[in-house]
Amino acid sequence: MAHFDTEYQRLEASYSDSPPGEENLLVHVPEGSKCNSQHQSLIFFNFCNVYNLHQKNGFTCMLLGEIFELVQLVFVVTFTVFLANCVDYDILFANKLVNHTDSSKVTLPDAFLPVDVCSARIHDNVFVIFILVISGVFWLHRLVKFIYNVCCYWEIRSFYINALKMSMAELPYFTWQEVQARIIEIQKEHQICIHKKELTELDIYHRILRFKNYMVAMVNKSLLPIRFRLPFLGDSVFYTRGLKYNFELIFFWGPGSLFENEWSLKSEYKRGGNRLELADRLSSRILWIGIANLLLCPVILIWQILYAFFSYTEVIKREPGILGARCWSLYGRCYLRHFNELDHELMSRLSKGYKASSKYMNCFMSPLLTVVAKNVAFFAGSILAVLIALTIYDEDVLAVEHVLSSITLLGVCITVCRSFIPDKHMVFCPEQLLKVILAHIHYMPDHWQGNAHRYETRDEFAQLFQYKAVFILEELLSPVITPFILIFCLRRKSLEIIDFFRNFTVEVVGVGDTCSFAQMDVRQHGHPAWMSAGKTEASIYQQAEDGKTELSLMHFAITNPQWQPPRESTHFISQLKEKVHREATGGQQGTAAENHAFTSTHSLQSESEPRSLIANLLAGPPSLASLHLGRDSSIINHLSIGVSEGTSALRSLSPLSTSLHLRGSFPSARLPRPDHPAVAAGRAMAGSGTDARTVSSGSSAWEGQLTSLVLSEYASTEMSIHALYMHEMHKQQSRGELSRHTWHRQESDESSESVHDDVEAIRNLPRSSTFPFATTPSQEGAGLQSSSQRRYGGTTGNSSPRVQRTARMPMGGWSEEPHTGRHHDPVPEEGSEDELPPHIHKVRQHSSELKMDTVIRLGRNQNSSRLFFCLKLM
Amino acid sequence: MNCRSEVLEVSLEGRQVDEALLALLHTILLHRSTGKFHYKKEGTYSIGTVGTQDIDCDFIDFTFVRVSSDELDRVIRKAVAEFKDALGNSGSDGMGQISLEFYQKKKSRWPFSDECIPWEVWTIKVNVVNLANEQERQICREKVGEKLGEKVINIVEVINRHEYLPKMPTQSEVDNVFDTSLKDVQPYLYKITYQITDSLGTSVSTTMRRLIKDTLAL
Repeated sequence: MAHFDTEYQRLEASYSDSPPGEENLLVHVPEGSKCNSQHQSLIFFNFCNVYNLHQKNGFTCMLLGEIFELVQLVFVVTFTVFLANCVDYDILFANKLVNHTDSSKVTLPDAFLPVDVCSARIHDNVFVIFILVISGVFWLHRLVKFIYNVCCYWEIRSFYINALKMSMAELPYFTWQEVQARIIEIQKEHQICIHKKELTELDIYHRILRFKNYMVAMVNKSLLPIRFRLPFLGDSVFYTRGLKYNFELIFFWGPGSLFENEWSLKSEYKRGGNRLELADRLSSRILWIGIANLLLCPVILIWQILYAFFSYTEVIKREPGILGARCWSLYGRCYLRHFNELDHELMSRLSKGYKASSKYMNCFMSPLLTVVAKNVAFFAGSILAVLIALTIYDEDVLAVEHVLSSITLLGVCITVCRSFIPDKHMVFCPEQLLKVILAHIHYMPDHWQGNAHRYETRDEFAQLFQYKAVFILEELLSPVITPFILIFCLRRKSLEIIDFFRNFTVEVVGVGDTCSFAQMDVRQHGHPAWMSAGKTEASIYQQAEDGKTELSLMHFAITNPQWQPPRESTHFISQLKEKVHREATGGQQGTAAENHAFTSTHSLQSESEPRSLIANLLAGPPSLASLHLGRDSSIINHLSIGVSEGTSALRSLSPLSTSLHLRGSFPSARLPRPDHPAVAAGRAMAGSGTDARTVSSGSSAWEGQLTSLVLSEYASTEMSIHALYMHEMHKQQSRGELSRHTWHRQESDESSESVHDDVEAIRNLPRSSTFPFATTPSQEGAGLQSSSQRRYGGTTGNSSPRVQRTARMPMGGWSEEPHTGRHHDPVPEEGSEDELPPHIHKVRQHSSELKMDTVIRLGRNQNSSRLFFCLKLM
Repeated sequence: MNCRSEVLEVSLEGRQVDEALLALLHTILLHRSTGKFHYKKEGTYSIGTVGTQDIDCDFIDFTFVRVSSDELDRVIRKAVAEFKDALGNSGSDGMGQISLEFYQKKKSRWPFSDECIPWEVWTIKVNVVNLANEQERQICREKVGEKLGEKVINIVEVINRHEYLPKMPTQSEVDNVFDTSLKDVQPYLYKITYQITDSLGTSVSTTMRRLIKDTLAL
């Protein structure tokens, strides 16, 4: 604004417009003001599209993809109609002779009916006309949407090019983190969001993931009717794309939905006054949508079948094994998703866990099925062999009716059978595999741990990780089942839904209404059994289950190191990181030995070697484990936990060949920090990957070396470590609750029993004989068990005051029962905090006494041996 | 959504509506107007002067300052008069809100009309009360004057914050940011909209009607 002194005085209305001496008052327009207004609205509404365009690798790819989708739709419909009406199947099947006899061969065009016959048949068939009309309307709708989308994306393209200075060609080479960093920079310059001076990462995530966060929270609080107890199938989950679409339609964007527009909840839903009326309204809306679904059901069903047929038949013919392959179910994706986790982050996490998961599922081969499958495969195989042999001898055999089809069928049959026959050369250890899986998927119900070998666990895991075939089947059934779920199950929950949206919606300046869970506020939504005891003030209704808040917070803080969390969260994060770090350094002596064992273990186990390099670097997991051991005063010589957890975390480290040259730089990066002078520099990294990352971002020498890709690898590794740690803590805590009163009596028999299990588990670990292995398996097992027993020995004597949680009960929340099974009493904070340091101290001494020889030996040639591992692994 | 919004609430007598609204709207516009820009080159301009003027209210003990531009005053008066009429037609104890929205224009290509991107919205909620006798009117006259004084200070406080304002445009873009139609003053692009809320808005019948409409609107 110009600085022009206007004196406060009455002026005559007829004043002259151009004042004297204006030459002195020339003002210059600042540079770059242009793109400001250009992108202000656009960016605000369309962070989601900015993200999508990035994920779809630029404008051209996106455009082509959308066009092909439209074309595909037309193709499927026309092709089906054509097949149904315009083909003379008698000619194809050679039941009828072709009229013209100039050539003896039947060609494909011979089988086509002439155009007039064809169109007459179409006209006569009402059903076909109906389908054509419906699909035509649907297609037009898609076309309009497509045109609209193209306009939107075109603007975003210009935003990328002009404001972010990224050309479409090089867009695929930028990670989302980089794009995001640029957006934040742009905001500082141009203030695209006018509410705040600076945008944070969380703001951007919130906008992109607003509705997804709601869905995750609703699944987390089991609000959506997707779990059913069926008479024969038992507990099952039904959540398909169709159902998801309907949920979103009802809640977020459909006509009359709860949301007024993309960013704000309708104001009447924010007030508690007329919740009953609103619930009525919602339930009637759901009824109507359910009925509409029911009416459209035949059309959708036909579409689903056709689509599945066209897209999967060819693949199944090519590789029938795909039906036996697995994929993460839609429910699994919702259950496993952190708050504020973008699609690509989730997918990469789940993909990393894929191998371990399918391995785990393959552990459960029913022996009965195996016997049957072996024999069926044998019989089918012999018939197939004969047919093939005959064909090779004389190919006229193929011309005999149904020979080709039976060959194909037999082939499919054998492939299916083979998938039931386990690989002879595989060694499985379910418990350990589950740990590995946990390192990637980060969430898991409590009762799985220790029950990995049971079928119940497997079945529950199968809900998250289902057969592709089951997935396709569910999608096919979806149009039929969805309306009933809507009408009979969802409608009953309408009051709960209304309450949920009212209680868990917060308005964030510059972002709009978001799900309050997505704020990841430990105080509001923390679960006392997940390390936020004492910090959380949430009632049961407000707690996120499965430690979602805590894990999400860690995940977000780790993936976005620049993000400044609010004070309480910072406290939580730093405390947790410190704990992990302390345990890492606390268990260092032990780790040396452990790591040794664990490296050797891994060198046999891992399929892709470079991984273990980075695992060596961040020897977090073993040290982690030793810290658990450290907490009870039992000794570090039982390292089995370390071994198993180590291996698990190892998998989480994705292949990273770059880490080799990084090895060299770690010492230099770490040395300035005086706190661990005695520790070998590489080892000092052990505590947390964050250290590496913060150091790296701090020192300029590092910035060149570490691309953001490498950093994100570190981040995912670190997150795995933290997730394992948190689950471990949670286990201890809940186990402590349960066994606090009874452990004295149980100790002897339980430990002997479970020692057996653990010994077996450990025997299953492949172990290298090349390297000294200090402890015997049985010792390890015993140690493991007794350690977990003793862990809470200390606290029994402590009559520590229980933290009284203030129950702030929102309206419509659940009544808080004092002794519900799913609720763990908060463990007093001071108990865990103050006790820790002396314990670790003790452990250090102890371990150094007991393991003197190992430590010394390792200490002496630590570096050389580590180097040796690396070389070996290369 | 991507704009600040400020809400002011006043409750006053029917005949005071005019002046109170004018006072508030003019106060805001006073701070959101500049002198006319005279461009020398594409990116260089000088700014003309803006005169101010004291206005005394008849029905309120209040004096406010406005930009001394009759054209602007005419526009505002027209909008306020429309609002007052609508308020009067809706019933005696009407409630309504009038909002002053500052926006930027974004030029679009042919098939689309220009897009207006608001960056600040001032909403004045008006609650008309009926007074029984002259004494009460007298009290109201003073009270409303005090209230308006507070509001003006409030407005000035908000405007004094260092918050987003559109950047100064080059000559080709001046129409996207400023309203250049007036001869003597150049306020940021603004528009005034109003809305009458019937105090019986949530009666049973309308709710039912809305309910049926909502459920049928699949």
